[in-house]
Amino acid sequence: MTVYETDVPGVGKKFEVEIGGEERLVIVIHHDGKREVFHKSNPDADADRVFSLTGQRAREVGAILQGAYFQPVETDSVDVPLGDAIIEWIDVGDDSPLAGQTLADAQVRQQTGASIIAIQRDAETLPNPDADDTIAAGDILVTLGTRDEQSAVEGLVTPDDDG
Amino acid sequence: MAELLLELGVAVAGIAVAGALATRVGLSVIPAYILVGVLLGPNAPTAILGLPVDFVSDGEVIAVLAELGVVFLLFFLGLEFSVEQLLRDRRKITTVGSVDFLVNFGIGAAIGLAFGWTLVETLFLAGIVYISSSAVVTKSLIETGWIANEESSPILGTLVFEDILIAVYLALLAAVTGGGGLREAAVSVGVAFLFLGGLSVVAWYGSAWFERLFTTGSDELFILRVVGLTTLVAGAALALGVSEAVAAFFLGTGLSQTTHVERIEHIVAPARDLFAAVFFFAIGLSTDITLLAGVAGLLAVAVVATTAGKLVSGTLSGRVYGLDQRRSLRVGLGLVPRGEFSLVIVALAASIGTGRLGSVLPAFTVGYVLVMSVVGSVLVDRADTITSAILPSSAEQ
Repeated sequence: MTVYETDVPGVGKKFEVEIGGEERLVIVIHHDGKREVFHKSNPDADADRVFSLTGQRAREVGAILQGAYFQPVETDSVDVPLGDAIIEWIDVGDDSPLAGQTLADAQVRQQTGASIIAIQRDAETLPNPDADDTIAAGDILVTLGTRDEQSAVEGLVTPDDDG
Repeated sequence: MAELLLELGVAVAGIAVAGALATRVGLSVIPAYILVGVLLGPNAPTAILGLPVDFVSDGEVIAVLAELGVVFLLFFLGLEFSVEQLLRDRRKITTVGSVDFLVNFGIGAAIGLAFGWTLVETLFLAGIVYISSSAVVTKSLIETGWIANEESSPILGTLVFEDILIAVYLALLAAVTGGGGLREAAVSVGVAFLFLGGLSVVAWYGSAWFERLFTTGSDELFILRVVGLTTLVAGAALALGVSEAVAAFFLGTGLSQTTHVERIEHIVAPARDLFAAVFFFAIGLSTDITLLAGVAGLLAVAVVATTAGKLVSGTLSGRVYGLDQRRSLRVGLGLVPRGEFSLVIVALAASIGTGRLGSVLPAFTVGYVLVMSVVGSVLVDRADTITSAILPSSAEQ
């Protein structure tokens, strides 16, 4: 990947980045911290302005792009002290092994240690589901557990690759 | 004191209102600042609907602030001067810069001589119509998004070359017009180049010293040091009969190699903006627009010829950078606006004040900058229409 850097007197710096194929991104960083991002479908095309960000927002977006963990927005509703536990929302895919099973069959709690505290189905939320409630494809499971327990749930919900 | 303070208040408040109005209608602020200076100044119009509007006299306080405006415009020009870019693209930049200079300075010189102006007057006129406005050009580059296109390279390259040229040109003119005969002129040119040579050596080798001098945790102490040193150097230059603007330019280039550039941009730029706005206002104050009628013919010729000149030189410059016809024409369109540097040159002319330099030329330049900044903005806004009209063969993109 080639990055071309140019000084723009009185403005700041300009970076042109090849992003595969003919496409290019052009990023202009102003002295006041503002970032403008342009997209070119090929080196000869006119650039389209995609978006511009303040310095602070640019750093946050940059952290997301880097894959660094991003702090979720703290809402007032989540003020329950949960210790090490966190709440996660996990999508059940069409090919998930759990689809069609009741909670009793799935044995999520026994296998992972995390509890399913609600099932979101379309616009409805089923709080405190019973053992005979069924998990359907397309559901979102709301689970409570530590980070490791949550990873284990993800492992159960996603289909096994080894068939 | 009360009167002075009130005058300055009226002036800066007027500038603020003019800037807000210009931004609202999407025009460059520079002509707006000049116009409000014309309006509030001692020359016509002195009254509107029978109410007096000549609130602000062309006094010393505004003159000093305006002088600081010139100094800081050139200081920032030096500070933002990209030596790296110049070295990396020196062949292309020299080529496009020379084309730009020969075509446009040549047209200016031809106009001056055709209208029977003296050699010195012609030299001033040629400089005024030659130099593009860095401020207006880069602003329109950003607004149109051309900054991300290939046409930005020759445009910015041309501006880099013009920056060096204006420094040399101002130094020469200030020295030549210092008064006296040929021998005195030669002496003052010598003094000028000794002073500027010394300054550039200090600028080049003094980076480490500047680095230490400006290292401080406090923004307050920082701006005091930068403004203090710049004003001191500019004042010393003027006392020696050297162009204060050029001295400030060299000081800026000396600082451009330090780590303080970003911080100066952040902290000192607002001071520059304030002083520069007062400078444009002061140009308006000293302008007698009733003289414009006398130079209408000259103005019309200059506007048409120098717009065409930039279109031609810009298109050639685009070719030098290997751009297609459409983009090359855009380079020409982008370089049309003239602004702050034409006014810096005319301020020098007005300070000499002999012959046409003190009266006709300032009026002409104000008219010229007003027209060219508007024409330039319109041309850039309508660039696609213009390029497809001139180049019907160009394929749709």
